[in-house]
Amino acid sequence: MTIELISAAHFSMQELTELYNQTRVDYLVPMPMNAERLAEYVHDFDIDLAHSCVARSAEGEMLGLSMLGIRRNKAWVTRLGVLPASRRTGAGSALMDFMLEGAASLGLKETDLEVIKNNMPAYNLFRQKGFTETSEYLVMRRAPHSGTEPLQGNVTWLEADEASETLQSYPQHLTWINAYESMRNSPNIQGMKIELPNGSTGWLVYRNTKFTLRSTLSHLIMHTEQGDPQEVGTQLLLNLHTRFPHHDTYAENIPHDDPHLSAFQASGYFTNFARIEMRRVIP
Amino acid sequence: MARILYIEDIQDNITLVEKIVSSRGHEFLYAKDAETGLEKAFSSKPDLILLDLGLPDADGQTLSVWLKGDPSLEKIPIIVLTAWPEEVVQDTVKAYNLNGYLCKPFSMADLLKIIEKALNPKSS
Repeated sequence: MTIELISAAHFSMQELTELYNQTRVDYLVPMPMNAERLAEYVHDFDIDLAHSCVARSAEGEMLGLSMLGIRRNKAWVTRLGVLPASRRTGAGSALMDFMLEGAASLGLKETDLEVIKNNMPAYNLFRQKGFTETSEYLVMRRAPHSGTEPLQGNVTWLEADEASETLQSYPQHLTWINAYESMRNSPNIQGMKIELPNGSTGWLVYRNTKFTLRSTLSHLIMHTEQGDPQEVGTQLLLNLHTRFPHHDTYAENIPHDDPHLSAFQASGYFTNFARIEMRRVIP
Repeated sequence: MARILYIEDIQDNITLVEKIVSSRGHEFLYAKDAETGLEKAFSSKPDLILLDLGLPDADGQTLSVWLKGDPSLEKIPIIVLTAWPEEVVQDTVKAYNLNGYLCKPFSMADLLKIIEKALNPKSS
């Protein structure tokens, strides 16, 4: 099959959304979007549509798409998908080559991506393209409900600027969607700092996004500066959910070995699925 | 007969479920995203909501929170229809206090059975 690769900048957000949704229709976790959400995604995650790509057959049939995020010296491949009927035609490989050549043309030596755990066709494609695993992350949910444990500690609530500034001090690696730049790009970033009676301290940065009736919490990034992460994390989450008792919560890309994992679980979070982060570095 | 609202973004699934639901004389309504689903739930006050978890604006879990959070809608049973792995759906149904689930692909008999059970919980 002859595959044409066209810059995504030549397509409207609506066209890209429809194509993206068609590529995900048979996924276990389809995560469809509308044009408004995709535009927000492009903005928040610094997607460069000129270096993103749509694959089309010589007859004009849409085959798939892929997007490339660009920041300073790094690139990020995301939204890669091929329509079910067009898989095993080389379209996925061609899209990946376009992404990697685009990153190389910009002088970017490091490219990251995430793949849902057990999506072996995608995982194998990324391995073939030179990506290796860095770590595993969990995507977790929490339905609104009242906590029963007593609240402790002095809490300071942070507005956007303070939350961004706090997040800059995070000492560990963050995946692209939770990185400082992604959070700073969102108008919905907030945060909190806590000091417990025993002197333990920590902070939590998150997004608080307003929908029609209610808001949701997402993109939680937690750090214990001093003390036991389980204790600090539990109090951060207790205070958060007491302040926002009706908010549904979606915590993405929590490291599988995060020291606060037991705090999440104790606060009613459960795992939806896992992602593998992969990286390709060229010398 | 009951009024059933199906919130699902994929037209093929809507068409299939409409045929099954209508074959039993139920009134069938649908919405393709969470916002429209919420509006239709308010305006039509359905007897049962069938809910997909993957929606384009806000996902099904979040929508269920909005539905259950309104006093005029909180008692409407919600059944999840999804292709998600069963153990995740079980956790979701329990955490979000939903009324049941059916994993895709499902048979006509399975769908009718879970609808009847949700509409007549005391008779099952």
